[in-house]
Amino acid sequence: MIQPEELVGDEWAEWYRLTPVQRWLESEKLWQTYLALGGSLDPEPDTQSPFFDARAPRPRLAHGRAGVRVLRRGRI
Amino acid sequence: MGGQACVFYGAAEFSRDMDLAVLAEAANLACLRRALDDLQAEVIAVPSFELQYLRRGHAIHFRCRHPHALRMRVDVMSKMRGVDAFPRLWKRRTTIELPDGTHCELLSLPDLVQAKKTQRDKDWPMIRRLVEAHYFQNIAKPNPAQIRFWLQDLRTPQLLVEVAQRHTRLCRRLISTRPLVAYAALGKIKQLEQALLAEESTEREVDRRYWLPLRAELEKLRHAR
Repeated sequence: MIQPEELVGDEWAEWYRLTPVQRWLESEKLWQTYLALGGSLDPEPDTQSPFFDARAPRPRLAHGRAGVRVLRRGRI
Repeated sequence: MGGQACVFYGAAEFSRDMDLAVLAEAANLACLRRALDDLQAEVIAVPSFELQYLRRGHAIHFRCRHPHALRMRVDVMSKMRGVDAFPRLWKRRTTIELPDGTHCELLSLPDLVQAKKTQRDKDWPMIRRLVEAHYFQNIAKPNPAQIRFWLQDLRTPQLLVEVAQRHTRLCRRLISTRPLVAYAALGKIKQLEQALLAEESTEREVDRRYWLPLRAELEKLRHAR
């Protein structure tokens, strides 16, 4: 019988082994971190969606800059 | 029915919108309108929040202004391509209770998989993850409905071969609806991979064609504004 590790690697196998409710709770933690870091709830434009309208105005962030910014970056 | 449902069932998506499948009836929409008012949600773009658009298969898009959900997008749909009508979806739904006692109603996994068969790149790896996760969770003691679901919707060649060779009778019966399971039964991985790609490509094309008249209608509505 094929094991999940053989197919998808350790991280995904671990995710698969969580119960649905555990996965839900883990994702909530991720949300809390994201929001604590100032992440915005604005979805990324989905250019492949049939609803995508390239001319639609995109909402601006209240303070005029992205919620999560790169403060330092390596050379590459 | 969107990102959080995917997380629940085993895929991983960091989706920042909320997708709702609703029964398109006047009384139900009145309830939904009240809930959206609580979120201070406003319709963005077209179409407007009307029964006729939901019944034709459009999505209505909202953006919330409530401080606790500031700028969150809510998309509401009632009819999805290739997916059963709402009353059947409701019967098959999954209900979960969150630690604070809140109940969430999710599309059943087979219905979610069906809804994800779209023209978008990102939906196809998601389907693969969803069915893989279900497979590994239930492989120890699967019931016939689960085996049928795997044979109909698995997108992982190795797993398809495993199921097809273990459940030959059911596999034979499903060849007429999903011919590629014949390759799985014979263990022909290369042909199976190609057939899976072709299946995806066909489904994406069908989705594109399905949306053509709806997109044309959206374009007209945009110009009429």
